[in-house]
Amino acid sequence: MDQAAILDHQFLIAAYAVTWTIQLGYLAFLGMKWRAQKREQARVRQNPRQRAN
Amino acid sequence: MKKAAIGFFVVVTLALMAWGFYQAIYVAPNDAMQGEIFRIFYYHVPSASVAFLFFAVSLIGSIGFLASRRGNPDRAQAFDAWAVAGAEVGVVFCTVVLATGPLWARRAWGIWWTWDARLTTTLILWLIYVSYLLLRRFAAGPQMQTLAAVLGIFGALDVPIVYMSNRWWRTQHPAPVFGGAPGSGMDKSMVGAFLWNMLAWLCWGLLILALRYRVERKSQLIEAEEAQQALEA
Repeated sequence: MDQAAILDHQFLIAAYAVTWTIQLGYLAFLGMKWRAQKREQARVRQNPRQRAN
Repeated sequence: MKKAAIGFFVVVTLALMAWGFYQAIYVAPNDAMQGEIFRIFYYHVPSASVAFLFFAVSLIGSIGFLASRRGNPDRAQAFDAWAVAGAEVGVVFCTVVLATGPLWARRAWGIWWTWDARLTTTLILWLIYVSYLLLRRFAAGPQMQTLAAVLGIFGALDVPIVYMSNRWWRTQHPAPVFGGAPGSGMDKSMVGAFLWNMLAWLCWGLLILALRYRVERKSQLIEAEEAQQALEA
C-alpha cells in the first residue's frame, strides 16, 4: 500500500467517524432532552408553582 | 401496536444502516480516478439530500404556522413543531455535509476549503438555519415563533440556489453526478451502494425527525399546562 492509499484510507475512516459522532451525539442530546422533559412534566403536575430551570 | 410499529421501523433502519455501510465499504469498487476516498460520497451526498428534504419540511411547517396561527392555534403549534424539528435535524445533516466535504476535498483537490459557489451557498444555508435555531433558543415573547417562521421561509430560499449552484456557475465542486450534463452518472456497480445509503440515511433522518417533533410537542404541552395552572392559581 503506498502513502497516498494509506492517507485516503485514513481520511475515509475520519469522514465516517465524524458522521457517526455527529449523528449519535445529536441522538444522545435528544435523549437527554426527552428525559429532562419527563422530569419537568412530573414536577409541574406535582407542584404547579415550582418550575425547574 | 404503535410501539411495535416504531420498534420494527427502528430495527429496519439499523439493519439498513449496517447494510449501507457494508455496501459502501466492501461491495462498491474504488473509483477509477479518486480511488478509495470516493467512498465518502456514500455518506456525503445522502446527508445533503436529507438535509434539503428536512429544510423543506421546515418550510412547510413555517408556512403552515403563519397560515393557521390566528384561525387554528392548536394546528399552528403542530406546524411550528414540524418547522423547528425540520430545521434542527436539517442542520445536523448539513453539519455532516460540511464536515465530510473538506475531508474529501483535502485528498481530491489538495485543499480543505475554497470559496466556490456550491461550498459557499451551503455554508450560508447552514448559517441561516443555525441563526434560526439561535433565535428560537434566545428570543422570548409571543412574536418569536412568527419571526422564526419568516426566517425559516427565507432560509429555504437558499436550498434551490445550493442545488443549482454547480449548474449555474463553474465551480471547484464537481458537476452534478445525477441529472447533470450528458455523460454524467455513476457506474452501475456503484449505484446500488449509493441507493442503499440514500434509503438508510433517509430512514435514520425520519426517525430522528419524528423524535425531535415529539420532544417539541411535549415541550409545548408542558408550557400550555403550566400556563393553565398559572391562570387557575
